[in-house]
Amino acid sequence: MPLALRDLQAAFAAHVMGGDRPDLVAVVAGDTIPAAARLSVYRHHVFESLGAALAATFPTVQALVGPDFFRDLARTFVGHTLPVQPVLTEYGSDFPAFIAGYETVRDLPYLADVARLDWALNLAFHAPPNGRLQATDLSTLPAERLPSLSLALAAGAVLVSSRYPLDRIWETSQPGAASETVDLNTGASHLLVLRRPDDAAFVSLSAGEAAFIAALDAGISLERAAEAAFQSNPAFDLSTTFARLLSLGAFAALQ
Amino acid sequence: MNPVAGIGLRSPHLVVIGRERPATGFLEIHAENYLAESPALQAVEQLRADYAFSIHAVGLSLGSADGLDTAHLARVAALVKRLEPAWVSDHLSWSVSGGRYFNDLLPLPYTEEALEVVVRNVGRLQDTLGRQVSIENPSCYLGFADSTLSEPEFLSELVRRSGCGLLLDPNNIVVTAHNLRLDPRDWLDGLPGPAITEYHLAGHATNDADGEPILIDDHGSTVSDGVWALFAEVVKRFGARPTLIEWDTDIPPLGVLLDEAARAAGMIETVVAAGGRDAARAA
Repeated sequence: MPLALRDLQAAFAAHVMGGDRPDLVAVVAGDTIPAAARLSVYRHHVFESLGAALAATFPTVQALVGPDFFRDLARTFVGHTLPVQPVLTEYGSDFPAFIAGYETVRDLPYLADVARLDWALNLAFHAPPNGRLQATDLSTLPAERLPSLSLALAAGAVLVSSRYPLDRIWETSQPGAASETVDLNTGASHLLVLRRPDDAAFVSLSAGEAAFIAALDAGISLERAAEAAFQSNPAFDLSTTFARLLSLGAFAALQ
Repeated sequence: MNPVAGIGLRSPHLVVIGRERPATGFLEIHAENYLAESPALQAVEQLRADYAFSIHAVGLSLGSADGLDTAHLARVAALVKRLEPAWVSDHLSWSVSGGRYFNDLLPLPYTEEALEVVVRNVGRLQDTLGRQVSIENPSCYLGFADSTLSEPEFLSELVRRSGCGLLLDPNNIVVTAHNLRLDPRDWLDGLPGPAITEYHLAGHATNDADGEPILIDDHGSTVSDGVWALFAEVVKRFGARPTLIEWDTDIPPLGVLLDEAARAAGMIETVVAAGGRDAARAA
């Protein structure tokens, strides 16, 4: 009995994901190579190619756990979270949360935060590079407007905070980096990920700077964001921080 | 008229191509890798002044009974509008079911129902882009007992009903013919030659399937002798067309791809000079 095309494709999809579909096997022409072996070529490619896509998006996670362990991790993720569209650099937004809940990486408590950093760098790399706020844009505004101004982060700019020294972990995991032990007790890190003209990168922020960025990102005005930053860190220096963030292109142009 | 051979543009080669601008007939990109505003897209825009481009989509899923993904179609259309490539193509396959994307070129049964689905999807794609697209014969690892048409019959009828072009891949013919016990030269019989707009060439691997060899289209090596021989036969029958070297697994230095493209161009020249039909449209 032929399957309607939609039903055949649904059966094929279920089979690829590991389901038992005798109705599909029955309509595949088998010979000395049985239908199941033929179908397994496709199942293998789906899992391997999506695993490779995740490895490209999460290179630091792969460097930390090794390619063999990463393949197993990725296969498990692919098994319950397939892409919903064909742009593979947009696949894997749930991978950090998956890692956070994955029992066998409990001994690497910072791994999910590393995944969040990889994902943020990936998003920044694929964000448009233009539309940044310039210092000259602000000079045209009346001075009394500045305190109530709300500033949005530029496309791709995102704050990644962790209780672990993520910047040190990331640096020692890069290809060619000298083998080095990172002391996990050196404290929290606050990284601002940014799209630069030819790549994506992050800079380290102080706790005050991070509180300032987080407040602005939440839509809070410049004046109140600065107050939040002072509360977080009395050494917070608004003019130095603001000049630094402007020169980094951290803010979107005014609407 | 000089035959044109080009290479698939892969990210490890972007910098060296941007710097050295090596001579090659054209560059082909995978649409799905250039849909975001990345530095890679900026680099491609800078190469447009020096190279003809082909946009080869891998994720439109033209064989999906569910129809095309409207959002993805719009993104591909925007890229085509932006880069104005010489050629646009995708495959005779499907990769989406129930809103999930499988990242593989999955096989279709060659039935009247499937033909109507592909004709409808290709028609929508061509209407959206406002231009002809070419459809590539896939590498197959299985066939369906329900198929009532051969693959070349299916492609011929698709061309007739939709007005699309054909992207003919001799490597895929060799892979499919081996895996499905067909004769690759018979496969060529009855194809509508004038509809062919481009040839693809790549390497394949041989794997084990329950103790028997099965050919895998992995684009991870040089073009095999058997594929070169079939390519010569294809050029003899159908004439010269723009020809692409693809490489996607274990990507070698750029020079290896350029050498393969030069070999393809040389073979086209030899075959055409020996009396094969020189299709004027190849320029």
